[in-house]
Amino acid sequence: MLPLDISNSLSQQWPCRELQTRQLTNLLGPQTPSPATIVVHGISATCKSTIVRAVLSALNLPHGIVRSPECITGRHLLTKILWATLEALGKQHEWERFGKGRCEHVSSLAVLLAECLGVTAGEEPVEKFVLVLDGIDKQREAPQTLLAALTRLGEVIPCLTVVLILSATPRPLFLHAAGVPHVNFPPYTRKEAIAVVLRGGPLAIHGLSEDVTAKIYPPFVSAVYDSLVGPTASSIPTYRSICEKLWPQFVAPLVQGEKPPGGSEEWDFSRLLVKNRALFRHHGEASLVHRIVTEEQPTPLVNGTFSKPSLAAVSAPSPLPSLPYFATLILTSAYLASHIPQRLDTIFFSKFSSSSLSARNKRAHHRRRLKVLSQAQAEDSRAASQGPGTPGKRGKRTKTRITKSTLESAFATSSATTSAGNGGAGITGPSTILTARPFPLERLIAIYHAIDPNPPANPVRQLAAGDAIYAELATLRRLRLVVPAAGRDSGGRMGLGSGGLSSGNTTSDAGERWSVNVSGDWIGEVAKGIGVEVGEWLAGGLD
Amino acid sequence: MELDLLETEAQSGPKDGSNTQGVYIYRASKAHGERPAKRRKIRPNEKTVEDNAQLFVPLLNGDEAEASVDLRHSVYQQLWSAQEAKIQEILDDVDSSVLENVSSFVKSTSPQTYDGCIPTALITVGSNVSSLGRLLSRLNEQLTTTGEGGVVALESGDAPNLKTTLKNIIRAAITNTEGNDGYQSFLTDRDGPRLLGYDLDLLGEYVKRKNVKRLVIAFRDSEAFDPSILTDLLSLLSSWLDRIPFTLLFGISTSIELFESRLPRSVVALLRGRYFEIHEASNCVDRIYERLQAELDTRFWLGRNITTVLFEKSNDLFQTPEAFSRTVKYAYMSHFFTNPLAIFLADKEPHNSPPGKLCETIRNVPSFRRHCEQLRDEGSSEKVRSLLEDDQYLVQECMQHLQYGQQRMRNIFQVVKAIHKYLRDLSITKRTSISDLSIRALSGELQNSPYMDDTLKAFKALDSVKLQETLATLPSFMTEHPECQELQQSLDALVLAYPNEGPLRSEHDGHNSTVSTTVVQQRVRLNKGKTKLSKQDTEYTQIVDRFCALSEACFAEALIRPQDLFLHEVFLLDMKNPLKEVFSPRPRFAIERALSSPFDYLVSNSETAGTKISAKQPPTAILYQLYLESGSLVNIYDLWQAFYAVYESEQDTDCDERVVMTLFYRALSELKVLGVVKNSRKKVDHVAKSAWMGL
Repeated sequence: MLPLDISNSLSQQWPCRELQTRQLTNLLGPQTPSPATIVVHGISATCKSTIVRAVLSALNLPHGIVRSPECITGRHLLTKILWATLEALGKQHEWERFGKGRCEHVSSLAVLLAECLGVTAGEEPVEKFVLVLDGIDKQREAPQTLLAALTRLGEVIPCLTVVLILSATPRPLFLHAAGVPHVNFPPYTRKEAIAVVLRGGPLAIHGLSEDVTAKIYPPFVSAVYDSLVGPTASSIPTYRSICEKLWPQFVAPLVQGEKPPGGSEEWDFSRLLVKNRALFRHHGEASLVHRIVTEEQPTPLVNGTFSKPSLAAVSAPSPLPSLPYFATLILTSAYLASHIPQRLDTIFFSKFSSSSLSARNKRAHHRRRLKVLSQAQAEDSRAASQGPGTPGKRGKRTKTRITKSTLESAFATSSATTSAGNGGAGITGPSTILTARPFPLERLIAIYHAIDPNPPANPVRQLAAGDAIYAELATLRRLRLVVPAAGRDSGGRMGLGSGGLSSGNTTSDAGERWSVNVSGDWIGEVAKGIGVEVGEWLAGGLD
Repeated sequence: MELDLLETEAQSGPKDGSNTQGVYIYRASKAHGERPAKRRKIRPNEKTVEDNAQLFVPLLNGDEAEASVDLRHSVYQQLWSAQEAKIQEILDDVDSSVLENVSSFVKSTSPQTYDGCIPTALITVGSNVSSLGRLLSRLNEQLTTTGEGGVVALESGDAPNLKTTLKNIIRAAITNTEGNDGYQSFLTDRDGPRLLGYDLDLLGEYVKRKNVKRLVIAFRDSEAFDPSILTDLLSLLSSWLDRIPFTLLFGISTSIELFESRLPRSVVALLRGRYFEIHEASNCVDRIYERLQAELDTRFWLGRNITTVLFEKSNDLFQTPEAFSRTVKYAYMSHFFTNPLAIFLADKEPHNSPPGKLCETIRNVPSFRRHCEQLRDEGSSEKVRSLLEDDQYLVQECMQHLQYGQQRMRNIFQVVKAIHKYLRDLSITKRTSISDLSIRALSGELQNSPYMDDTLKAFKALDSVKLQETLATLPSFMTEHPECQELQQSLDALVLAYPNEGPLRSEHDGHNSTVSTTVVQQRVRLNKGKTKLSKQDTEYTQIVDRFCALSEACFAEALIRPQDLFLHEVFLLDMKNPLKEVFSPRPRFAIERALSSPFDYLVSNSETAGTKISAKQPPTAILYQLYLESGSLVNIYDLWQAFYAVYESEQDTDCDERVVMTLFYRALSELKVLGVVKNSRKKVDHVAKSAWMGL
């Protein structure tokens, strides 16, 4: 078959990829010798793997395909490459001849592959063999030299061609070899995407004549692209599934024979669009935030009537966790310990000052002062981020403002806006002062005693509160609500490496620092449930 | 090392009671650096079986008869096994509806229904962590019996890194149906090279061979998993989804939102599914408590203090229902272990001629004294005399009073149950738990509590239909009351006489009073007026009034203080302490106390015990007390001076400074190991305080 014929037949099935198909067919074609390595790259969902597979099967070449993300280690990848090659050549029953099916290193892979392909042995060598490594840039535990070494495979073994499929754009000379042909799969343009989806054709809907469908479907598809797919940079499969999902709902008024508005007799596209504005908006919101638990799919056309997606049908999980009383209190104290500068502890938590009027006034004064400062700073930085036209003024003011009180006020604002939702637009200060600060355990226990809403009647007998806290803290740590301060960044890597459940904090250093790992408004709500008002204790929190 | 220490202790234990001693000095039997003896597998010898028979120690200064020691043990086992069966029944039953939903979810969904996403069930468990394990094992049972697949339950400890996680998943999935040997043979008996343990090809082959349709992977404590490992794992699983039919289950203790926010968006997009909720632990615990205490065949009760401790723990802390039942078990155990009178709880007559010791014990019990005083006040001093002198008579009386007391306890809990039911059914208060009511009843306060007032008020407003229902569900001791039966009859007669009038209403009912408003001097006045009652309603009102009076009297009679009963020591355990101490240890408190007043623990000769700091105390304790007196930054030199002064003042002449210095260094480094002090970065010659006493 000629390359042109192949690309023509393939483009019937996968449109808008003629160029890439032709390139691949020419590079891999049987008439010409193929290059040792070919790089195919493009972002996800651009049809790379599918086209490569299709071309290879159309050319009827012996080939092996290894999906690299499924390989856990480098060794695993090499073994799989060997096995795929054996399978493709139909030699899997002779596996014991080739390193007993085991391959630990790239250099031994080169030898084994050469043996398989019959280069060294006396057998008749294979004419051309293509090895496709899909997603090789996502390989786990890959040694640094892996890519370069794989490139050399094709040079060492003349009949072998290695096709590397990457989803990231390759850096120049990343294979340490010049002249490697690259085939780029660019993302689909608007026109192409619409063409691809239109080719699939609309879902057949009972009661809708074909000519009406032919009239309404194309504008519908492009409307979906413009409103939902283009802005969110979605892929073709999502695009297609959105179209399939929305189409029955979109034409529902037409199918059910509702009267079109405006006194006209016929439904046309624009009338349907106006009628279904809410549908687009609703779906647009949904497509931005992906949730695991989605609304139940509306079953289209049950007994001829269309059931609207009802919000009530979703049994919404409660956003708040149900922690026991004691654990909640500890979590609250941890939050306070994280977000109040240690310097202010005496003012906010001291039992001696809490009762006297002057102390209360002092506390209120502090809170207010911090509040004012924080507002000023927030406005400042907002102005700075919005108005780049006044650089001189901005630079000067931020410089003079870095004082202790600014830091305090930054704490204050951070406490109100750490939550992900209302990510404070105005706060663009250094991120270090906005995050929760680590605190020693002793401070947590002390604050716990200060904010306890039901303090024990006889404090002498309740000496063991500290001991009880440790056990609960372990559970909170397990839930990753309170984490060791060092473990928050690196804990992901090494924290669970050693001991799993009881990891971290096994070296009981009293100086060990902890940090809270959840947002503020969330804790505020939880704490309200047990009768603690977080704002009362927090700088700038209440007023 | 530890083994032979334990052995020596166990041997000497029963003789001198050294296993009950609180403090002992630990002596390592071998020096450091020596290699420990190689561990060998030793078959458990028969000695342990013999030991089982003698788990309980003879009480009464060791004079207790062997038969009664055994009896105590057997009574305990009999009693507890009955209770344990009840608990297990509740645990099996409690989440069955959730199980049904989850299993139908697992069976009905596939990747196709969620267009390529992995079907995912999110199960919020709250603090009820153990419930998920029960649910999973039952789901696994269902799936394996039908041959559809199985459940692989993962703990966060199984997932230190991706390789091990995959290995664990594969091994668990295969051993689940094939057994351990099956797994091994699966690894070896295949054509082709031996695969790596973490290769999902293994699992794919297994799925193909066994025709598995659902492979559920459950993450039991999904928050504790490392998010980066979870991310890797999920993307890997989703790429295998076309060959292995995965379904995921996540147990979530916090909230779904939080869980989602910890995963990257691309991973969340791979999952789609539904949400299930498992009920709170407290619900289950309440049911367990009710079954344990309020059944009609209960013979032994937990008192008020223990109930308070139990519910405090289960409400305030992370506690599973299993832990709750273990605590209850401990309470039962400690009662039978320590109370020689517990043999009276045996079914059969304990002894024809009980040893005199036991009768002596009964006579020393506080409730016996109260009983005697009561008898004397009633003027039957003859009885008192024979109780004190005649052992036979005493035992007879005891058995009678025991029966009577147990019946009274049952009545109390029947009333508690009834009131709980009325409060719920008549929608008086929204949430009352049986635990609240029980605590009040066990301390004898339920009679005068608002709950009781509310219930009686609600009784007054009952119409005839509801009254009949209520009468049918009264506690049995009330329905046996003659007046109650009479009441029932007259109510039936009245209802029969007026069959067409609808429910009869008493004058206390809201329907039968009107509110009229009058405006007097620009103020609105509400006047409540009674509408005129029909004849049948008047009659009905009489019945209702009688019923209220009757139930009030009956409740008042039933709700006595359990502590007033004769021999309540036998069937009621009400000591807070062993339970509280055992289940909430206080290591920090103990260490602080040992350091600040060491003679609380160590034996000392008389005169030094009371004084404050003295050189007779261990050096670490001295240093700790000096440290307590200082501020948050301590100058080492000052500390040393003070420390030296302690020794100097006591041993005025022969005080070697170098020896004391050694002691000082050692004490300081011990404090450092305890985490009490640390080096200060602010000042080189200071140490910083890092623990405060009494927190």
